[in-house]
Amino acid sequence: MNFLIIIFGKIFSSLVRLLNLGNGSTWPGHIALSLNKDFIGQTLRKSKVKTVLIIGTNGKTTTSKLIRTILKKDNLKSVYNMSGANLLNGMASSIIISSKWDGKLKKDFALFEVDENAFPLFVDSIKPDFVIVLNLFRDQLDRYGEIDTISSNWKKALEKLDNTTLILNADDPQVAYLAQSLKKNVLFFGLEDKSLSSSSLQHGADSILCPKCQNKLSFECFYFSHLGKWQCDKCGLKRPKPNLSKLDFYPPLEGTYSLYDILAAVLFAKQIKVNDKTIKNALREFKPAFGRQETVSFMEKDIQIFLSKNPISFNESLSTVRKLGGKNILIVLNDQIPDGLDVSWIWDIDFENILTKNMNIMVSGQRAYDMALRLKYAEVYAHITDNVRNAIDKMIENLDKNEKLYVLPNYSAMLETREILTGKKIL
Amino acid sequence: MKKSLTIGWLYPELMNIYGDRGNVFVLQKRCKWRNIDTKVKYLNLGFDLKDLISCDLILMGGAQDKQQQAVAKDLTKNKDKLQSIIEKGIPGLYICGAYQFLGNFYKEANGQKIKGLSIFNLYTQNPGEDTKRLIGNAAFKFGELDYTLIGFENHGGRTFLGKNLMPFGKVVKGFGNNAEDGLEGAIYKNSFGTYLHGPILPKNPVFADYLIQKALEIKYKEKISLEKLDDAIEENARLAIAKRLGIEI
Repeated sequence: MNFLIIIFGKIFSSLVRLLNLGNGSTWPGHIALSLNKDFIGQTLRKSKVKTVLIIGTNGKTTTSKLIRTILKKDNLKSVYNMSGANLLNGMASSIIISSKWDGKLKKDFALFEVDENAFPLFVDSIKPDFVIVLNLFRDQLDRYGEIDTISSNWKKALEKLDNTTLILNADDPQVAYLAQSLKKNVLFFGLEDKSLSSSSLQHGADSILCPKCQNKLSFECFYFSHLGKWQCDKCGLKRPKPNLSKLDFYPPLEGTYSLYDILAAVLFAKQIKVNDKTIKNALREFKPAFGRQETVSFMEKDIQIFLSKNPISFNESLSTVRKLGGKNILIVLNDQIPDGLDVSWIWDIDFENILTKNMNIMVSGQRAYDMALRLKYAEVYAHITDNVRNAIDKMIENLDKNEKLYVLPNYSAMLETREILTGKKIL
Repeated sequence: MKKSLTIGWLYPELMNIYGDRGNVFVLQKRCKWRNIDTKVKYLNLGFDLKDLISCDLILMGGAQDKQQQAVAKDLTKNKDKLQSIIEKGIPGLYICGAYQFLGNFYKEANGQKIKGLSIFNLYTQNPGEDTKRLIGNAAFKFGELDYTLIGFENHGGRTFLGKNLMPFGKVVKGFGNNAEDGLEGAIYKNSFGTYLHGPILPKNPVFADYLIQKALEIKYKEKISLEKLDDAIEENARLAIAKRLGIEI
């Protein structure tokens, strides 16, 4: 049965691509799962592939790409899902496309970034060998719900596992607390660099209550949002000591938030016994995932795209652009289904403390006026051009020689921007 | 003499989930642009009652359940003071979780009742996980100003108003208090409860000014008329949503 599903699925997705109807990333999987609900589990169990699931609000795509880059350097083969295809059908599709024509999946690792709400389903159907949990921030509350609900669902899902290795962010209280659901085989990554930390809490930090006893946590320092060195003075729960907290090479991506993704990827690589030299060499050649600090050349200018889809990712992108000396910023805000229909989160962005007066800012996208309004109340003037193409053109026109344009789009706005800049669709 | 307002923000660290701090920014800036001073009192867990009493205008937003429980304990201790402030007519804006909490009780899906502050005569019930949350862009008409407020709602609880409690307005688009009776929010004295966030004040500057004016009139015991501001961006942002909802504003 599964053999036939794979063969038909492969023919189907080849046709879709041949006829240029898209990249065929979810349909074959959708059909496979409607024919056999346990398709993914059965196929993976039959092969020797080790499964790795990556969850978290921010950084899944980047972490997946970092790990793939390391695996490839070590001559290990992997199957993975495209970001945006992070539900079960996307996973089934990538298995079909990566399988050989004899119906077999000959890979060493299956690497999947998983939607926050779909994670319990994934765990039920595949019993992963590794689960990497990056962080948990407020994101698209209208779609995902509140983060306490998400973390309690994750905890319940993890409790059903016993031979899984958990790789957790020690600095995020709710994520670190997930260790309690699996007690053994738990590894932590976190930061131990005072020069990156601050002593005050940023606005919009979510997990400031003890995940065990709900008392208010005390923090020795913060890295960003609610990530930091935390402890509960009431029940004694505290941030676990990280197994990995430093890199011995220059990070391939900018920003503190990227450091966490890199630490997670490296800790995983060390755990599967990739040697340090290979890791270092692999990451030296690392190219950012699309829209995540990716630089694109357009009309002889460099444009760097920083996907900014929730308050925390926006703050981190903006701080990084400022550190890079960026002066020309285009913000694109849409409210399509993958973005969330609710744009109230833009009021949680810390423009007041991050923007500097000499920046030239343009806003665009379906909710351009909402963003302009947000900036108005930060007393920052922004140009408004709702059409994205026109907004890019205007910004490019005014760039000085050697100046770069930084684009901060949310999800669908990133796809739209990228399509304009490269002339190609990704999804 | 230069006028000033003290704005009390209840539980900014815990009750801040839907960008509600935007409401504080809007009040502060719209005062500043008119040369009115503002001071913000951040009333976190264990706050000093003196600070609450000094406020001319109160704001409180929504939160997740866990945070809300921590706040409930704290605020129940201070109920009398908050009640006397509200009874005295100090203007206030209470969003979502804060709005529910001013009522008599919140009945959870499992039938368990959580006591509220009983300052507003209303109750809220959650019909259970199988029932959809009420989510989406929304608009309602505030009769006193004949003004359509625009925003976003996202709530599981259904709120029903008791006797003699006025609604904030009539639903134009969206669900309102309970998706049944076409009413949105509640008004008691000069305190407003609503499910609308987005946050509510940036896109509804006329209502933001109404709150500022009320607070000043009560504080200075005189008729106040506020200088007009340029609200072109606000108007465009409102129109974009109105167009999408297919309504005239």
